[in-house]
Amino acid sequence: MNSIYNISVVVISQSDLVLTGLFEILKSSMASEVILLHRGDELIDYPALNGHILIIATSEEQEKSGSFMRQILTTTQNIHFITLQLQPDSVYSNQRINLFDTPTLICYKVNEILNSFLSDQSKDTDAELTKREIEVLQLLTKGYSNKEIADQLFVSTHTVISHRKNISEKTGIKSASGLTMYAILKKIIDVSDINQDDLI
Amino acid sequence: MELFNENSKLASVIHKDHSLLPVINRLGIKLGFGDKTIRNICEENQIDLNFFVETINVFHYEAYFPEKRLLDFSVSMVIDYLIKTHQYYKDYLIPENDRLIELFLSASPDENTENELVRKFYAKFKEEFVIHINFEEREMFPFILELNAVVENPEKRAQFTQKYPSFSIDSFEKEHSNMDDKMDDLTNIIIKYLPPNYDQNRGNAFLANLFLFEKDLKNHSRIEDHILMPKVKQLEKLLASNE
Repeated sequence: MNSIYNISVVVISQSDLVLTGLFEILKSSMASEVILLHRGDELIDYPALNGHILIIATSEEQEKSGSFMRQILTTTQNIHFITLQLQPDSVYSNQRINLFDTPTLICYKVNEILNSFLSDQSKDTDAELTKREIEVLQLLTKGYSNKEIADQLFVSTHTVISHRKNISEKTGIKSASGLTMYAILKKIIDVSDINQDDLI
Repeated sequence: MELFNENSKLASVIHKDHSLLPVINRLGIKLGFGDKTIRNICEENQIDLNFFVETINVFHYEAYFPEKRLLDFSVSMVIDYLIKTHQYYKDYLIPENDRLIELFLSASPDENTENELVRKFYAKFKEEFVIHINFEEREMFPFILELNAVVENPEKRAQFTQKYPSFSIDSFEKEHSNMDDKMDDLTNIIIKYLPPNYDQNRGNAFLANLFLFEKDLKNHSRIEDHILMPKVKQLEKLLASNE
């Protein structure tokens, strides 16, 4: 679920009928997770959302809370909106889900966007950690704080945090003890380097 | 996806979704109910019919979460269910996990450092988890039940404020995401990064139980975070406005 391919689809609608219907349909899409909300500002309950996000909402909702949602979703790699069109007379567009679209068509439109996320991703990232990320990971497993790591590597704390975020995205592991396990299993550090009782 | 209702036969409910077995146990029902409907069974066992139906539906269908209706249930009913869930973790799921991880790790050809690490990671996770649920049972749930009693009966108020002078439910929140992360990390490490010389069948058995645990825990957190917490905040507001 937390791999670099983590893709969440957020559906926003006041109507439970619409939410439940789209949830059923999107089960056969590529989304790793489908989140249903009545209002855009409820997204604040999902602070840890990361990876790629596709938000399906009416144009009114996008106008009302679009910028607020972007503010909340600071840890995401990519946010894309697709418009939910609940009036029956609209023309075909792959950027819109229309009221009378068939389930297959809706899935197709959504998957097309999700696929574009993935192909962008494989261009600029690789699941292997970079040399710098390995350095950060090594210091992390020794129990150093973000600030201490920043000082050692002569970079800003902000940079360290962004490295940590990338490490978690690439490995799918979030907790410090989980990352220590990963580092040992991948022979990035040696068991004797760390204080096992503290870190695992 | 089909939702169940009071006229559904419980036997066919279980045929459709056997992961509901521990859930109906927690609600007070054991197997052997013949062809009875949910309504019959609840009447016989004096179980709140709506609570039974909504609880199995919420568990069965992840998109189903009728918040407004769920908020109607009494605090004590929700807490009773949550405590029984904890009991199920402590009496069954955790010991079963312990047994399966031990079988799994001890079957690997070379008992090496990796196994020792997985064992330690799991032990730490378990320790934190048990502390978390014990804390809820010893501190948080009693606080909520007393808060509820004070709102219903203002005479007890002085006693309550003396006992919890500056207590607020906010101090309890946001523990869950941490537990969920560690659970995710454990499954990820085993699936993605374990060295290949392990016992497949025992590894699969352990993971299957861990996924069962994960599903149950997610549901449990959902009920605590989206039903219990809003209810308690409502009670706190009521109490403050009565001052």
